[in-house]
Amino acid sequence: MKQSVIQFSDVRLSYGPSSNPVEVLKGVSFSLNSNEIISIVGPSGSGKTSIIMLAAGLEKATSGIININNQNITELGENALSAIRRKNIGIVFQSFYLIPNLSALENVLLSLEADQKYNGDEEAINLLTEFGLGHRIHHLPSELSGGEQQRVAIARALINKPSVILADEPTGNLDEATSENMTKLLFAYTRAQQTALVLVTHNNELARQCDRIIELKDGNIA
Amino acid sequence: MLNLQQWAYIHRYAIRDIRRSYKKLWVIALTLFISLLLLSLTFSVKQSLNDEIEANSKELLGGDIQIDSGIDPLSGDRIKQLSNLGQISETVNFFTMLSKPSGGAVFTDLRAVDGVYPLYGEAKTMPSDAWAAFRLEGELPVVLINENIQNQLQLSVGDELTIMSKIFVVGGVIVSVPDLTNSAAFGEFAIISKQAFDQFELTSAGSFLHYDYRLKTPQSSDYQSKIEDAQTLFANDENVRTKLPKDSAQSLGRLIDNFSNFLNLVAVSAMIIAGIGISNTLLSFINQRNTSIAIKKSLGFSSKTIQLIYFYEILIILLASSILAYLLGVLSPVLVSQLIPASFGLSLQPSFSLLGYANIAFIGLLVVLIFSIPSLYSIPFIKAASLFRNIFQPVSLHFSAKNIVYLLFLVTILVSYFVLQTQQQLLTLSYFLAFFASMLVFYGVAKCLIIILRHAPNLPNNAYKIASRNITSKKSLAPIITISLGIGLTLLLTLSFVSDNLKKEISGSIPDMAPDIFFVGVNKDEKEPLESFLSSLDAEAVTEFNPMVSASLVALNSVPFETLVSRDNRSRWLIQGDRRISWLDHPPKDNPIVEGQWWQDDSAEQMLVSLDSKNAKDLGIKIGDEITLSILGREVNGIVKNFRQVDYRTIGTNFAIMINSAFAQKLPYEYIGTFKSERSSDEVQSLVVAQFPTISAIRIDRILSKVSQMMNKIFIAVSAISLVVIVIGMIVIVSAVMVQTNQRKYNNLIYKILGVDFSTILKATTLEFVLIYLTLIIFSVGAASLASYIIIERIFIVGLQWSFDLGLTLMLTVSTGVVTFLFILLANRNMFSPAAYPLIRNE
Repeated sequence: MKQSVIQFSDVRLSYGPSSNPVEVLKGVSFSLNSNEIISIVGPSGSGKTSIIMLAAGLEKATSGIININNQNITELGENALSAIRRKNIGIVFQSFYLIPNLSALENVLLSLEADQKYNGDEEAINLLTEFGLGHRIHHLPSELSGGEQQRVAIARALINKPSVILADEPTGNLDEATSENMTKLLFAYTRAQQTALVLVTHNNELARQCDRIIELKDGNIA
Repeated sequence: MLNLQQWAYIHRYAIRDIRRSYKKLWVIALTLFISLLLLSLTFSVKQSLNDEIEANSKELLGGDIQIDSGIDPLSGDRIKQLSNLGQISETVNFFTMLSKPSGGAVFTDLRAVDGVYPLYGEAKTMPSDAWAAFRLEGELPVVLINENIQNQLQLSVGDELTIMSKIFVVGGVIVSVPDLTNSAAFGEFAIISKQAFDQFELTSAGSFLHYDYRLKTPQSSDYQSKIEDAQTLFANDENVRTKLPKDSAQSLGRLIDNFSNFLNLVAVSAMIIAGIGISNTLLSFINQRNTSIAIKKSLGFSSKTIQLIYFYEILIILLASSILAYLLGVLSPVLVSQLIPASFGLSLQPSFSLLGYANIAFIGLLVVLIFSIPSLYSIPFIKAASLFRNIFQPVSLHFSAKNIVYLLFLVTILVSYFVLQTQQQLLTLSYFLAFFASMLVFYGVAKCLIIILRHAPNLPNNAYKIASRNITSKKSLAPIITISLGIGLTLLLTLSFVSDNLKKEISGSIPDMAPDIFFVGVNKDEKEPLESFLSSLDAEAVTEFNPMVSASLVALNSVPFETLVSRDNRSRWLIQGDRRISWLDHPPKDNPIVEGQWWQDDSAEQMLVSLDSKNAKDLGIKIGDEITLSILGREVNGIVKNFRQVDYRTIGTNFAIMINSAFAQKLPYEYIGTFKSERSSDEVQSLVVAQFPTISAIRIDRILSKVSQMMNKIFIAVSAISLVVIVIGMIVIVSAVMVQTNQRKYNNLIYKILGVDFSTILKATTLEFVLIYLTLIIFSVGAASLASYIIIERIFIVGLQWSFDLGLTLMLTVSTGVVTFLFILLANRNMFSPAAYPLIRNE
């Protein structure tokens, strides 16, 4: 039986004053099983990125319950949420977000170091080599192309073997060919590691390659 | 709790980050280094001086115990009793004239020494064998002179000198004597033998002699018991004071403490301003790293771990800066030793000590903690969620209730640490309070400017609009410029105003009021002939003669003054040693009575006392109190009848203590006189000394010039030290400007794209600085004027008059402003020609 990695139950999210709140999510419920790849699609402002932020524990839900690996994270404090991220979640951003004064290898190692694993050099080098970056491990992000930077970012998200990867428009800043290679890489490695993947995208073609599509419209699942 | 592996990781990460980001952290390192260096210099020199004094305390005292018998020598019996305890050396000090037969004379501190002087250490002379030659009885008695006398009278070895009608031959120049004297270093000092002194046949009553005896116990004897025996011998003799080597070291230690306390306060001021720079640099460093911090948070790093990494980086910088500053500071006594006059005979040695380093590192740590907490506590406000939106809001200093408690606790430790280390605790505490109040005031000044500009009418001028927007923006430079520069500038202005006022008094007002020459040691039978002689020199000259006798203040209402008056009391000088007192039939014209009444019932049986009102107030004396004076060794009780307002600026015959004439008539006394005329004082002095060789004629212009020179040197040194605070302030401002360069470049680029030309941007930058600086100097000049007014008119007991010097103010403020602005322009040079390409590329 497949285990639920993420479970949203009637999750609401609103911003602004209570008298006139902006409702971003209006009671979203869904679950994601291990090794499952889902895409979240929808127009701008529909709440796609908010779901990722809530799943990563970077935003607090106004109401509802969010379980990560069967642990309710809605009431946890910052330190506990940090621990959840370290152990269970890998994030890939549209803008890569590598630390500019760290090399490719150091950026990947950062994930392990956050989890107090200080002897992961070999593992990180191997992963980067598998990603075709064996000759670039000591390069700074500014010395890498966009595609290479995103591969480093994916390696950083995968190195800790998380239960789920949250990817927010991971190919949004890349050209079509690079984008396609990146998707293949991401899919292959999440499948290989039996890691679940949540992919936020505007790209319908990419969404169709996922096991399931969740379409958001005005803060609700359509 | 972090484990060892986590600490090792934080260490590795911090080292790597410093290596790659040192260009952004140089301000923290430089400002910490400069302020710690100043602190280290002060501590090291103070420690070396104290070590040297402690090690040479017997030499400084001249014996194992010093017996000061004042104006009378010890009796033969006492000397015999003392000689049973060890070797005795007798010295007699008095002031007299040394004159050259060919013309020229100086008023000199003359010391007569016996054959065993000095008991400890050695007297150094030029030529080196002059001391040995001095011991030999020649045809003419020998006098050894110091360099000041040699220079003033242009003397060489073998020249003749007249002292009280007797001819002496100059045997050599005194380089140093082991028992330190102020005159040897700064004034005129000479040594003759006790045998030669005995030829003068002087009596204490007329000559203000001062007798000292020093005892050296045999090395094998029980030192402590001998010293106690010597103290017991004089325990009941109120005219004799004993002093031990530690007392000598202590009194010098107090002097050192006073000066080092000033240096410490300047250093800590510099350090606190450096702290503002640390806070600002750290905050901008955090803001520049907000993406990296957000990324780390997204990977699961906690805010605490990130805070620890950045704090650890600051600690590494502190460690490196403090070690370097300490090492340079420790070596400084070698350099300072060269600057101390040879006549002091002090040789300072560097002394390494872990405790010494810990001292400055601890102060550095406190300052770093105080100023990094508000910056580091902004880290939790950087949200990883921003990475999804690509929007990063800069964080600001965070002052939560918990932080404020931490800060207050740390500030209390810092202030207490300094206050408890000095003897001037109240003064030090007041300085800190004034310093922190000034920081608040200057912050308020900046806020006032911002509020005024926000409500000011919108002028149709682009440069003004840009300048006004920059000042009123959230990232305004106004607060950091006013705080960083304001305190240093106020300190410099205050010291300069005080110095300027004192110099004006010494070179202007005082010489106008003061007489040209003082005559001291005028016997009763010499007064009339001297007055006639002076009148023959210049019939229009103003002369004034007053009787005087030596006396000391003993007790107030039977309570000894020593137990009543604290060491910090500004009138303490009056109860220390002998003072000259006088009497008149009527109240002196220029000393108006401010409380009580002049005596109507003048009686030969009852002593009545008139005091300087300021001294009386300081010493807690009231009209009607009974005061005990020791006059020529005899204790006399008198009733305080009135207080006078004494204007010491006239340098006339102003007496702090006067008594009634009828009582004074039975005392043996001599006269003190003053002379003011159009004739050259040099010429008058020579003529008087030639005619009356036993009278001392002191030229006021020479004393004033010496005081002026000394003060110039002191104020140059003090101002130079206070400049450190301004330099640190400038570095802080430059760093604040530099961290804003990117934002300014971006703004200027937008202006450029919109068609605003280079000259408008330059004008706006200039106007922005001028507006902030003008606001700052209005408050700085106001605060410095108030502080210097209080120092000149309230703290200086001599009653000086404060005046404001616009020229000096303009010179200091304009030069500081121009230099600061040039630094700002230099730091900002890239800001004026922003390239459009990065903006178009959205870089």
